[in-house]
Amino acid sequence: MSGRRAVLLQAAAVLLVACGPTRLRVPGALSPAPRPGTTAGALQAGFARVDITPPPGVGLAGNGPEGAEARGYRLRLYARVLVLADGGGNRLALVVADLPLSSALLHRRVAALTARTDGIGADRLVIAVTHTHAGPGHFFEAAGYNDQGSSVAGFDPVMVDSLTARVARAVHAAVADLRPARVAWGSRAVWGATRIRSLPAMLRNIPMPTALDAPAGLALEYQLVDPELAMLRVDQRESASGAFRPAGAFSIFAMHGTGNAPSNDLLDADIQGLVERRLERHIDPDGGFVPRAVYLFANGAEGDVSPAWPPQSRCNVPTLAPLPALDGPFTRTLWEWRAPTATHLASCRHAAREAISVIGKRVGDDAVALFDALGAALTDRLQLGRAFATLSLRDNAHALGICAEPALGISTLVGADDAHTRIQGWLLFGLFDLGFKQGSPNPNVPGCQAHKRQLFDAAFGGLPNHLFISGNLPSYAQVMVLRLGDRVIGAVPGEVTTTAGRRMREQMLASARGAGLPVSDALILGHANGYLEYITTAEEYTAQYYEGGSTIYGPGEAAMFGRALARLAASVSAGDSLPAAAAPPLDLVVGHQRQVVPRKSAGHVPRPRIERVWCAGDTLYAWLQLGGAAEWAVTTGDVALRPRVEVVVDDATRTVVSWDDDPALEMRLRSRRGGLAWWELSWSGVSGRTYRVRIPEVAESDAVGCAMP
Amino acid sequence: MAAPPAAAQLSARTDVSAGGRYVWHGISRAAGLVAQPSLAVELRAHRLSLQSGAVLHYELDRVSSGELSETGAGGRHLGEEDLWGQASVDLGPTRLHAGLVRYVFRGDSGTGGVGSARNTTEVFASLSTTGRYLNPTLEAWWDVDRVRGAFLRASLDLPVLGWPFPPYAFVFVQTEMGLNLGQGPDPARPGELANFASRGITHVSLGLGTEVRAGRLSGIGVTTLAFGARSQLNADDATRVDGPGRTRDFVVWLWTGVTIVLGGAGRTGQ
Repeated sequence: MSGRRAVLLQAAAVLLVACGPTRLRVPGALSPAPRPGTTAGALQAGFARVDITPPPGVGLAGNGPEGAEARGYRLRLYARVLVLADGGGNRLALVVADLPLSSALLHRRVAALTARTDGIGADRLVIAVTHTHAGPGHFFEAAGYNDQGSSVAGFDPVMVDSLTARVARAVHAAVADLRPARVAWGSRAVWGATRIRSLPAMLRNIPMPTALDAPAGLALEYQLVDPELAMLRVDQRESASGAFRPAGAFSIFAMHGTGNAPSNDLLDADIQGLVERRLERHIDPDGGFVPRAVYLFANGAEGDVSPAWPPQSRCNVPTLAPLPALDGPFTRTLWEWRAPTATHLASCRHAAREAISVIGKRVGDDAVALFDALGAALTDRLQLGRAFATLSLRDNAHALGICAEPALGISTLVGADDAHTRIQGWLLFGLFDLGFKQGSPNPNVPGCQAHKRQLFDAAFGGLPNHLFISGNLPSYAQVMVLRLGDRVIGAVPGEVTTTAGRRMREQMLASARGAGLPVSDALILGHANGYLEYITTAEEYTAQYYEGGSTIYGPGEAAMFGRALARLAASVSAGDSLPAAAAPPLDLVVGHQRQVVPRKSAGHVPRPRIERVWCAGDTLYAWLQLGGAAEWAVTTGDVALRPRVEVVVDDATRTVVSWDDDPALEMRLRSRRGGLAWWELSWSGVSGRTYRVRIPEVAESDAVGCAMP
Repeated sequence: MAAPPAAAQLSARTDVSAGGRYVWHGISRAAGLVAQPSLAVELRAHRLSLQSGAVLHYELDRVSSGELSETGAGGRHLGEEDLWGQASVDLGPTRLHAGLVRYVFRGDSGTGGVGSARNTTEVFASLSTTGRYLNPTLEAWWDVDRVRGAFLRASLDLPVLGWPFPPYAFVFVQTEMGLNLGQGPDPARPGELANFASRGITHVSLGLGTEVRAGRLSGIGVTTLAFGARSQLNADDATRVDGPGRTRDFVVWLWTGVTIVLGGAGRTGQ
């Protein structure tokens, strides 16, 4: 081969690699063996919280193509941490982040740091997410979720690094906060806030699910949910007084983070964020901008569970239409995805905001009632234990009882009822049904993924999935069972349906009891330590609703997880270190690397200023210059002591009526000029008074009178 | 944003198309490699818009004797330039256009091309509507200069499927039918030119195309790439002409194009 040809071939190879998806090899970092006696006394608990609100420009993941680019934020996104430690030196860290999907990559990266600093490795760390569909993407473990998780494509290492550093620092802060604690487990049924969104699929289960304790008058899809709000209340001992004070809680409740309409374009903690704030403010009513109390509100078996949003809160999706752009007599027709009208979008977004508020308050009130009730059952005894395994799904598919090659069903592409995509119901030429709908199994599909209707499978069989899809799907499942006192918790990297979750709980409970553990209940913690999409029962899978189409490793997945959880429940241990085989390196294909998170701010960022303030209708507006163009809401990653901006009543008291962590206040980026960020504040809570907008300790606007709406 | 939208929007669009054939009103004007750069501007205020533009028709390969060409044998240059203006009004999913086109031919009639003797002017009106699956357009053309007569064209654009993720891609089918109502020979006025041989259906065409929204231009516009194939069944003697002394009942050609839209119209679409 001539030198010139070799150079050309090498250049071509470099180009191919550069254009291809990014591949990462992520080692496992397990916890070292605990050192007994490093923590004095019995049970200890520590809390921490960190702000993870990224700058605008990132994609809001979870709604696929309908996931918008973030233009700003409403409720800030936090990662909340609870670390529990016993006298034997065992530590468990629970993280619940306001993020759309969990990520094995994030879990492994954080564990690599906390294993060194705090003795908390992958086997003692749970990173779960609330599943808000108004959170950022670009940090997931599989290319499909980075490249197609929203309308903004790409894997961004800066997002991974930023989240890793912030979450790891919060875990470290929670360890530093460890203090003697008392805890109490309890649960309460919350009816009417959630519903089964794929009822026909659920009703295929054998035996058919029944509603045992549901209040009369509820529709069947509301009766068949698992209404359990499980809570671990935690009180900490104050060092000054020595008294135990309520400090926070950890909860599991099954509910999708889909209060926002898919067309929402603001980062937001959704219903879960309101529930968290409701209890935190109850515990710490005088806590200022960020309460000291911390409430981790994790998701359970929510795969087929939607919040009770009303139909008018779901916006129409873009439609395929000619672009009316200079269509002269000889110009070629251009096509576009035409967005719904601004009026329609405003209306459905408003309906979604109303629903979020109502549901958030309802569930939040139940959380408060449960928290208060648990005050009488506090104890300083809580046995801690854990079991952890990493399943290599493609390599061990046969042994695990799942399909060797993952596949997406067409029902995945059309979206769930919470967020239908623009191709839902599409007919070829308006006449021919290609199966772009839920509940359309293909009985002719053979093999392991039988019944799953795939894209263009009528013409090409499984080839499109093999060539374009399966390689972008995850290959591993990190599974964990925690023992927290008399509860075992199965942490699953996916979205488990109600019935699948119920079966897993029964399997775990029986197995744990069989192994001699004195446990009274088993819980499912979904969206934890990775993401594998949905996990349905084999019966639900055959219906090929959204969840079945998204059960990527086939109908054996739920049974596989049930077996894995049962095996782990029987092997929960404490005081030891796990063999390296529990966390082998992960070989990940994370997608196309892009600079999604803004990087550049001005070298010199001037003091923030308020440009103008005015009222229109029921809304107060302000234009502000606030920080650098690439700044996160909190630049250091810690929690801000005060808001970036607040609205005060124009009187002598200057009472604060809103700040930039309020469901009625929206911060929307107007532009990035000269490396600076120019924002628009809109607050829809005016009540006919005179207000000022204030940047704490920096600037205050002139007073502006707002008419009674 | 709370700020009110601008009262008027200015947009510009430029296209460069290339293909194996230049077909106008179903009549093949040139075969071989042809290119058609065009430029258009639009001023829009609410439902109303005014648009104007120009299209140039180049023949890029050397034309040999007996080939279908506007430039004439030996040519490799501009064969035609068209200037147009129109007014449009949007009524929900329906659009109405009315306008005027001036055709100027640059070929050499002495070598078989189309010369300035055929320069003419047409007025037109069109009605188009947008649906989820069907996007029909009905156009009426009236030559007011050298031919003096009407021609109708009905076309239908059907989206086959759109890729929902960026870069957005669209597959579509285009059908078209022409109907001559008065652009044929008029024995009463032998001095007038004719576009078609007889009254009635002139042609029926069917095409398949793909368009890829290549990228956004820093928030000020969009770029698209398109390519496709088109076929045409010729029903009139004039549409059958494929060069001096040659006729074809059925023709197929490939085409491609790049479009850049800047300004208001390019910012709105996904």
